[in-house]
Amino acid sequence: MAAPLTLLLLVAVTVRAALFRSSLSELISERVEVVSPLTAWKRVIEGLALLDLGVSPYSGDVFHETPLTIYLFHFLVDYAEVTFMVSVAGSSVVVTYLILFQFRKQKFALEADRYPLDCLELIRSPKEMYYIPLKVAMFYLLNPFTILSCVAKSTCGLNNAIIALFILSTIKGNVLLSAIFLSLATYQSIYPLTLCAPALLYLMQRQYIPVNFRRASFWWFIVQYAFMYLGSLFVIICLSFFLLGSWDYLPSVYGFILSVPDLTPNIGLFWYFFAEMFEHFRLFFLCVFQINVFFYTIPLSIKLKEHPVFLIFMQLAVISIFKSYPTVGDISLYMAFLPVWSHLHRFLRNIFLVSCVLLACSALFPVLWHLWIYAGSANSNFYYAITLLFNVAQILLVSDYFYAFLRREHHLTYGLYLKRKDGSEATLVLK
Amino acid sequence: CVGINLRYRFHVSLLCKLVSCFGDRAGQFFSSGHTNNWAVLVCTSRFWFNYRHVANTLSVYRSVKRLGIPDSHIVLMLADDMACNHRNPKPATVFSHKNMELNVYGDDVEVDYRGYEVTVENFLRILTGRLPPSTPRSKRLLSDDRSNILIYLTGHGGNGFLKFQDSEEISNVELADAFEQMWQKRRYNELLFIIDTCQGASMYERFYSPNLMALASSQVGEDSLSHQPDLAIGVHLMDRYTFYLLEFLEDIHPASKTNMNDLFKVCPKSQCVSTPGHRTDLFLRDPGSVLITDFFGSVRKVELTMETINLTDPIDAESGELQKEMHTYADQLPVSEIIHQKPKQKDWHPPDGFILGLWTLILLVFFQTYGVKHLKHIF
Repeated sequence: MAAPLTLLLLVAVTVRAALFRSSLSELISERVEVVSPLTAWKRVIEGLALLDLGVSPYSGDVFHETPLTIYLFHFLVDYAEVTFMVSVAGSSVVVTYLILFQFRKQKFALEADRYPLDCLELIRSPKEMYYIPLKVAMFYLLNPFTILSCVAKSTCGLNNAIIALFILSTIKGNVLLSAIFLSLATYQSIYPLTLCAPALLYLMQRQYIPVNFRRASFWWFIVQYAFMYLGSLFVIICLSFFLLGSWDYLPSVYGFILSVPDLTPNIGLFWYFFAEMFEHFRLFFLCVFQINVFFYTIPLSIKLKEHPVFLIFMQLAVISIFKSYPTVGDISLYMAFLPVWSHLHRFLRNIFLVSCVLLACSALFPVLWHLWIYAGSANSNFYYAITLLFNVAQILLVSDYFYAFLRREHHLTYGLYLKRKDGSEATLVLK
Repeated sequence: CVGINLRYRFHVSLLCKLVSCFGDRAGQFFSSGHTNNWAVLVCTSRFWFNYRHVANTLSVYRSVKRLGIPDSHIVLMLADDMACNHRNPKPATVFSHKNMELNVYGDDVEVDYRGYEVTVENFLRILTGRLPPSTPRSKRLLSDDRSNILIYLTGHGGNGFLKFQDSEEISNVELADAFEQMWQKRRYNELLFIIDTCQGASMYERFYSPNLMALASSQVGEDSLSHQPDLAIGVHLMDRYTFYLLEFLEDIHPASKTNMNDLFKVCPKSQCVSTPGHRTDLFLRDPGSVLITDFFGSVRKVELTMETINLTDPIDAESGELQKEMHTYADQLPVSEIIHQKPKQKDWHPPDGFILGLWTLILLVFFQTYGVKHLKHIF
């Protein structure tokens, strides 16, 4: 596993280095699909330059990174390309390792006994699973979205690395590290807060604490985790205060994420709505849109309480689609996990449509942007239509995987080839 | 010019004695007090059906140039290009008489402000002289306190305003204030203002600066009408007032002695259906003593003197160099430092307490999770 992984890393680094040196890097770093006001490298440099001039980087609407990012880049600004490549490589290694670790836990024999006989083909054999971590690493490293995001030096790569580390520590069972990385991820952008639920579920599963509201151990574990999480969050926020000596960063970072003042077009859903709505409805729609991100946590965790890893995947997808300033870097993170559920392929219904739509939309984004902004023969509706279509395709992808997962679970419980009482073949109807 | 002026004052007494036999004519010769002439001719309307406004302006331009004002002293502003308009059946021509007798466009028309450059802002900037340093000389009104200026405006107007380009207007108050600014900056000696629009008299009723004479083609409440249309071109070629003004000016030559009172009689109500108006109360001289060529022409004054003048000794080469040295340019800013400034050192460093706290926490977490003795299990 180490050798192919190294080869893959080399290829990925070469591709990125080649792109960094070419003239495309400037072009890519200005694309709105790849960088958002939160993650743009241009803004990071601007913020650091302001800091050198003695002005708070959060004055004005330029810089929306957290103070820890300032600290990190203060020393690494000259080595930015290397930093991002390292973070991408690091996150892919982390992700590989965590999947490997996860799979090592699953013992084939144990599982086989639990299920009806005709479901054996649904269970993955270790031989099939051998190459999945490598596939995941490949999906992450060689995904054009990740490459674009890395070449644009978008800090999304760092956020992805932190989330990957969080998932790793959760799967390893380390409660403290999981809480710390989750608080770091939440500190960077607020939305990973929803990953609390799957983390809790997984850790409780590992520690054999039953998920039952009436049990004291359940609540005690939640309290512990919450204490660690909130404590580390508090410590990080106070530490950020001491970096610059002011609380300026709170409205600049969190106020910015939550109140969405910047309506630069991106691949998300917020900008078009908020550009055209009346002022007195703005707060209402803001609440609606933001609650939409957090809303799916509870129903999904109730449904998927025995499968927290899948829940993490679903949550990541929901965050990437519905967050206020998504970029293709966020998408690449959850898409990297798709090979883990390659056994669901037989139940996926819309994969062709989804892949076609995603490819077409990715190709159409720059075309319609050019038509709108430069040629002037299109308008924002064209671009937003493609954005909508892209997000619909992503939602379809995610819901398709969800359906396939649930269907597999159903088959595992009730058998793959269903027979009615008289022996004839039964059909499964989705009501 | 200034030197001549001083000498004029000095010699007028002598010359008056010398030319006393010429009597009246000499007095008249030196009565105007201006040394150069300028003309600002503005057509404010665009679109093909406003052909006549461009033809008006070009007719006055033609007369003014024929009577001696050079292109360098004329600021011609035309809001649209009729000669090369694609609806012009006779391209590169602008006719002022029907039956195409007179082409006022010709080969040597120099338009200084064309098309969308003809705006209220540009017009006021020309008058007051507040133009950006990059403006070429042909676009400036470089008049001084000895200049007689002719200002001719034509287009569509109303009671108190003149429309520019179908999108903005200049009011009579603005115009009066612009002229006052010109007076305070000594940008004119005498100014003749002619306007050929509907209700044109409203544009001069607010003037309050001295030495302004104004003529308008119609009174308040009246419309200025156009002359006959030309069926071949399909539009009205001229406005009535300017048509008869052009006819009047065609009889003027640089030496003619016709005065302003004759100009006021141009286009009576029988010919122009509107009543032309004029205003002379701000003018210091008697209009009867003002020659047409004082404004429409560029008569050069020649002064005869019998005295010899001794010029001072030429400046020596050495003292010239000394003078050059005195005029060195002292840097206001430390230019060399600014140009060769090194990039600023990164002054900002994170506070030490922050670094300490952060790394302590990181180490604590590290040892908490892994513990020193468990390290070998990881690797």
